[in-house]
Amino acid sequence: MLVLGLAFVLAITGTFVFAYRAGRQARRIRAENEPIRAWMSIPFIAHTRHVPAPVLFQAIGLQAEPHDRRSIRHIAHDLKRPVPDLMAQVQRAVDAAAQASGNQPR
Amino acid sequence: MSDQLLSAVSQYGAPALFLVVAIAAVGVPLPITLLLIVAGSMVAQGAMNLWWVIVAASAGSILGDQAGYAIGRWGGQAAVTRLSRWFGKGVDLQAVEAKARAWGGPGIFITRWVLSPLGPWINLASGTAAFPWRQFVLWDALGEITGAAIYISVGRIFSDRVMAMDAVLGDVTWAIAALLAAVILGYQLVAYLRRARA
Repeated sequence: MLVLGLAFVLAITGTFVFAYRAGRQARRIRAENEPIRAWMSIPFIAHTRHVPAPVLFQAIGLQAEPHDRRSIRHIAHDLKRPVPDLMAQVQRAVDAAAQASGNQPR
Repeated sequence: MSDQLLSAVSQYGAPALFLVVAIAAVGVPLPITLLLIVAGSMVAQGAMNLWWVIVAASAGSILGDQAGYAIGRWGGQAAVTRLSRWFGKGVDLQAVEAKARAWGGPGIFITRWVLSPLGPWINLASGTAAFPWRQFVLWDALGEITGAAIYISVGRIFSDRVMAMDAVLGDVTWAIAALLAAVILGYQLVAYLRRARA
């Protein structure tokens, strides 16, 4: 009985602790940018950062192609460029596109 | 590894997702929740079809789970021990088998999407414990379809926040697991008190 009661209290406490942590994290990430990762494609980054994909393709010297789902790593390999350089270039293009549209860079 | 898998799903879509979730269901530790959320985001972007993605993710998982069950059922203890040595460092197979026996079908359902790290080990344990195959398939399919639909929908709704949602979902799933435990324990507590009063 005592063990059952303690386990029940523990489970209730766990529910509230994890729900609180999830809520706090959700509030924090609302204000944060989604990071650019090497596995992301250009249309994927454009979607998460709310900028037009053709702008990002153009910024890295590629023709805009909505069906081009190659990852940044794949594109860097094809262009024979270091992945961090390409990611930084995409980030700069995102910032510039956001500023041009009057939004805060995301 | 995660990067390669995520870019494969991003580039090749549902067939790649099917393959990756099937491999993960056998016990290989892969970031399946994140993959499903990314797939959901790609649905929102119009790069994938919602129903194809749910079918691919569910079918791949069910296939992998069946492989795990078959290894447990017909591969014997030696095969299960070898598999757990490769992929499940620290997993106490006897404890998992005891859980599989105690939880039964609902345990299979819950470990498909809430307590998913236990899923591959419950598959093996269900096989070694000779859990009826038809019931295993039923609970397995129910759990996998539910899990795939939930995570893909989360990715679809929060399509511009996939990494963040993956981080939040860790706590959300633990909160759900704790809530389920509280409901079960509360039910047992009430039953015990009623018996004591009678």
